[in-house]
Amino acid sequence: MTTTPAPGAAQATTYVCRYCRLPSDASGTSCPSCGAPVDVRAAVSDSGWVEQPAVRDMAKIQFGQSYCQVEGTLVPTADFGLAPGDGVIYSHHTLLWAGTGTHLEAWSQGSFFTRTYAGMPLVLMRASGPGHVALSEDRPGEVIVLPIPPGRGFLVREHAFLAASDGVDYTWQNAPVWLQTRSGDDTEYEYPIGPYIDLFVARSGRPGLLLLHSPGNLFVRDLTPGQAILVQPGAWVYADTSVSFGLHAEYPASGGFLWGSYEYRTVWLRLQGPGRVAVRSIFEKPERYSGLVASSGMTSHRW
Amino acid sequence: MERLECQWCHAQNPPETRSCEHCGAPLDRANLVSDSGWREAPRLRDMAKFQFSNSTCQVEGELVPVAEINLSPGDGVIFEHHTMLWKDESVPVGVYPLGGGLKRSLGGMPYVVTQAGGPGRIAFSRDAAGEIVTLVLHPSMELDAREHAFLAASHSVRYSFERIKGLTNILHGGSGMYLDRFVTAGEPGIVLLHGYGNVFERALGPGEKILVEPGGYLYKDSSVNMQAVQLNVRTGLFSRGMYMAEMTGPGRVGIQSMYHHHASE
Repeated sequence: MTTTPAPGAAQATTYVCRYCRLPSDASGTSCPSCGAPVDVRAAVSDSGWVEQPAVRDMAKIQFGQSYCQVEGTLVPTADFGLAPGDGVIYSHHTLLWAGTGTHLEAWSQGSFFTRTYAGMPLVLMRASGPGHVALSEDRPGEVIVLPIPPGRGFLVREHAFLAASDGVDYTWQNAPVWLQTRSGDDTEYEYPIGPYIDLFVARSGRPGLLLLHSPGNLFVRDLTPGQAILVQPGAWVYADTSVSFGLHAEYPASGGFLWGSYEYRTVWLRLQGPGRVAVRSIFEKPERYSGLVASSGMTSHRW
Repeated sequence: MERLECQWCHAQNPPETRSCEHCGAPLDRANLVSDSGWREAPRLRDMAKFQFSNSTCQVEGELVPVAEINLSPGDGVIFEHHTMLWKDESVPVGVYPLGGGLKRSLGGMPYVVTQAGGPGRIAFSRDAAGEIVTLVLHPSMELDAREHAFLAASHSVRYSFERIKGLTNILHGGSGMYLDRFVTAGEPGIVLLHGYGNVFERALGPGEKILVEPGGYLYKDSSVNMQAVQLNVRTGLFSRGMYMAEMTGPGRVGIQSMYHHHASE
């Protein structure tokens, strides 16, 4: 195990939070920008993955004149205390409770058809202050708080989104990786990370706050330019916009038996730096993708 | 020289060691045993590391822990391919030689089991909250595990599967058609299981019996006999039996506290 002390937690009053990369005040117990505890040692695996620490129960994160308090540890709730004029957008199915004075309204963006086709929320909701609104997901996991500097953004797996502040533009783009399979006369497109990925960008001149829910534990690492890592497509959660995506098929050595190499081909998501990538420890059982005829560009290796 | 004995795997550790070097169990925490005799499996400390052969396993995370294995040259692990979370590009993977492919396919089990060899790193995790249980197998041991519960096993462990005998057991036993069986010969080995929720273990004496919800069964020594038995539960005018797994000692029985049947099963 490699442990490194919390950066300057005891000695200095300011430091750069290792998780949100923003200057922060070390006099408290949590980073005010992302809620990460400042007084614990970083958990870093020997291979270089940094475990995202759970936001401490009842930790508060400030954004604008408003704040978010994270409550609970198994399935944490994000409880927003919204100042007048401030607001957050969210998907209606994550709404846990709202104050009677909080203004809730539909917030629509983008193409009706593509969102429906992608299985994404047709209409998002916006809650505006003054008042409280609380959001949570339906599986044990962690709330990931990502402050976004002005003009910067994150690519995020679809359905991982919990909430975003008013300063964040939420759009989506076609998934950079896909496969085409054929069975008889039927041709289908398969999307290992979903047909779309969400793109959250803070408007220039204004920082934003993005909250994700990640089932299981979350691990983050910084890839250097050209450095690549193979991960299960279902485990990818978010990445800097500078990270490139690809597919890599791996065929286990099977002693010449076709069934061994074909059925048990592993289709990996190949993430290549530079940039930050995050994966979760829980993922859906991978597809087999039989009858592959085309792809977005896939490298392969036979052992 | 003073040594610390691990209360989970009974290996000897140097003094001042916080986690067992052979199974990762915390050495500075007391055993948690219920009044009825169930012992809670040790919760592996985040980033705990332990050794098998010349390789190491590091357990990362606490909700859905990851087993990250750093394989030395010549060492290997076997696993069901869908538990791979990530790996170094250079780690070779191959098919673990196994008979009975058709039976396995009919039983809904993976057609083949995969193996990976060192040097390099490979990591595994499962699809629901739970904990990793490290079972250290001494030479000449046999262990049965619920199908699909196994995360990885060291290359010194021989993996096979046993058909559950008896139609009642298959239809009502709730444990599928097969049990995974892990056997060691002359060398020790480890088996890593993922239990949903919390895992509890109990050692049954010879002839001692316990009824277990079939979906809760996780592992047992192969000396423990498992049989589906029907309980007559009457509800008004209608009578409907429910089935439980009757475990008969001697040997260890492991159960998981979250036992609904997941989509992966």
